Amino acid sequence: MPKSFLAPNALVGIFLLLFTAAIAIAGPWLAPYDPQAFDALNRLQGPSFTHLLGTDQFGRDLLSRILNGAPTTVLFGVFATLLGVSIGAIIGVIAGVAGGKIDNAIMRILDGLLAVPELLFTLLIVTVLGGGMGQAMLAVAVAFAPGMARISRSAVLSVRTRDYVRAAVARGESGIYIVVREVLPNALGPIIVESTIRVSFAIMIGATLGFLGLGAQPPSTEWGLMVAEARQFMFRNPWCVAIPGIFIAMSALGFNLFGDALRDSLDPRRSH
Amino acid sequence: MSKFTISRRGVMLGMAAAGLIPMTGIGLASAAEPKAGGILKVSHSTRIATLNPLTLSGPAEYPCLDMLYSGLTRIGVDNKPMADLAESWEGSEGATVFTFKLREGVTFHDGSALTADDVVATYEAILDPDRPASARSVLTMIDSVEAADDLTVIFKLNSPFADLPTATAHANARIVSRKALEADPATLETTVNGTGPFKLETYDSAQMVRLVKNENYFIPGKPYLEAVEMHLFPDLAAETANFLNGQMDVMLTVQQADYERIAGSAGIEAKRIPSGRFVNVVMRHDAKPWSDVRVRKALAMSVDRQMLVDVILEGLGRPAHDNILSPEYQYVIDSPEVPYDPAAAKALLAEAGYPDGLKVTMVASNRPAIRAQVAVAIKQMALPAGFDIEVETMPHDTYLANVWMKGDFYIGYWGMQPTADAAFRLLLTSDASYEDSAWKNKEFDALVDEGRETLDPAKRAEIYAKAQQMMLDDQVYIIPFWEDLLTASSDKTEDYNLAPINRYFYFENVWLDQEA
Repeated sequence: MPKSFLAPNALVGIFLLLFTAAIAIAGPWLAPYDPQAFDALNRLQGPSFTHLLGTDQFGRDLLSRILNGAPTTVLFGVFATLLGVSIGAIIGVIAGVAGGKIDNAIMRILDGLLAVPELLFTLLIVTVLGGGMGQAMLAVAVAFAPGMARISRSAVLSVRTRDYVRAAVARGESGIYIVVREVLPNALGPIIVESTIRVSFAIMIGATLGFLGLGAQPPSTEWGLMVAEARQFMFRNPWCVAIPGIFIAMSALGFNLFGDALRDSLDPRRSH
Repeated sequence: MSKFTISRRGVMLGMAAAGLIPMTGIGLASAAEPKAGGILKVSHSTRIATLNPLTLSGPAEYPCLDMLYSGLTRIGVDNKPMADLAESWEGSEGATVFTFKLREGVTFHDGSALTADDVVATYEAILDPDRPASARSVLTMIDSVEAADDLTVIFKLNSPFADLPTATAHANARIVSRKALEADPATLETTVNGTGPFKLETYDSAQMVRLVKNENYFIPGKPYLEAVEMHLFPDLAAETANFLNGQMDVMLTVQQADYERIAGSAGIEAKRIPSGRFVNVVMRHDAKPWSDVRVRKALAMSVDRQMLVDVILEGLGRPAHDNILSPEYQYVIDSPEVPYDPAAAKALLAEAGYPDGLKVTMVASNRPAIRAQVAVAIKQMALPAGFDIEVETMPHDTYLANVWMKGDFYIGYWGMQPTADAAFRLLLTSDASYEDSAWKNKEFDALVDEGRETLDPAKRAEIYAKAQQMMLDDQVYIIPFWEDLLTASSDKTEDYNLAPINRYFYFENVWLDQEA
């Protein structure tokens, strides 16, 4: 394992990431209670042995809701990023490979889009498309695309003039072959690093949209929505707001620290 | 015609009593002598988007309307009509002609005198089908409105209607001057020339609406306050914080979740007013599976009403049992309790042909949050009875456009009406303004019509009892609870009171005890 993964930051990141991945995959099966079951007698309780993380305004077990909501929340971030990265990478590679006027035109449009802050851009798209998980995911993907396009273009530009690409051109290979076999594999590093870090933003934007009522809808257990629903009861039981908040922060931090470590390990100036 | 004599006496007595009240105000007992002066700051969380008295409907728009304009009559805290601009009124035998006598010397805010002609112009505008007016649906029985002299208005009805003085108290039937009505309708939205206790000074719908004392208000000595400021707080947490630290004197609407905390704070007086406000489950009777009354009854038995009151209203309400009339209404019957019995519901569902349960989608709009909360709670409660309810929440605008009054199964939310007649005609009769259940029961319609025309209270009670029983037997809606109105004021705010129907606020009686 490269040294950069043994740094304390990276270790914390890897641990958080593994934890997040575990609950995102197995969460619903680990939940001790039915996440939707009411318990009118035990509403807004703090942590106890029966309810490890306490209960919400309907007496629903918070731990079970967190575990049940993990796939929705985390996979939202992952898939939104994957979608955004794919869109962005295609645009960026086209711009980088084509060069000239096409490159210029694409990049000026992207510059315009980049001027709008991501969250604002997402909100605009969701307002137009309407609320819901699918729409929110699409909105995050579209908002991520310009930034990803810029990064993939610069990665492509840096390898485009390398000797092995020139050799392939000299061999008379087809354009698609050169892009897929020679350019992309060598430009992939920065794209992967960037997308890992972006997953954390996507999780946070997803939670924000859920909180604003534009993403997941009740009775979903999406974490942002849990915060929004519990907000009214913040003064009665702070746990029901704090716990989903902490889980959102932990998963975002996990992806972020891991992404940093990945960047360090791929950075040629720090190669070993 | 002994029937008419008895009823007429009843009608007249009620009027005489109402006629006496205005001199003493609405008789709120207060130990201290009211002091004049001071600025009352009221916080609210919804925008005051318009001040048009004929159409406005926002929760924070009604208090402004109540302060700026006066109607012929007004509903008191006892839910009965009291005198406002009309100092007395009289119904003819058979209740087809009503004569309203206006107060002398009432002026609009611009100084011009109020005459019977302005009243005629207002009612003509309300009844004009080309003009949007919320009060029209309760006033359709008016045939003509005439000014006999400057201070006398005669209403001729096309059918007997004993409740006319209640109908004229409709919050959106406030008297506007003929001049204002004939001007561009858009000017009514932002400018005010009313006869109410306060005058409009600043109208900024995004921040603050400031109203100042009308020195020429028709009740001498009132209002006590120098000015009332309506401050908008789009964020509830900010509103609560500002109210609790003394920046605001009145918090117009308190959320159930915050009530206990606010009521427990020092220097705050929180109020709970039992009201007929309710959430209802709409099940369209012309669509499967709801066309079968057994399915509707089964769902009704799958709702634990006390638990909804405890969990969703935080105990700040009362369980209801599907009657559209709450105990505050005149002529309400004691509706039998519908027990929470999932086993019996399951059996009934099987009898209706769904032995394996039923999968249905229930729509709840996201505003206010109580709709989705009720939907999620009913989903859980009805699970053991075999109802597999999928809750679909959607933005309120989408709901209004696509589901409201069209959908098969959704959550509605309604305020209290002044009379049984108004409540029935709002939702239940075949030609009701918001008829959404597709019940369309001719027999029920006939009873409601008969009730409207019957002047003898005992006979009327009998007719309305029959109508309510019919509604319960057919399980038109599921109405699980009555929600209390919640409001709060600082200790120095005196004589602040709300009517259960939440359209009348009596700010002219409010005063500030500066030394407290």
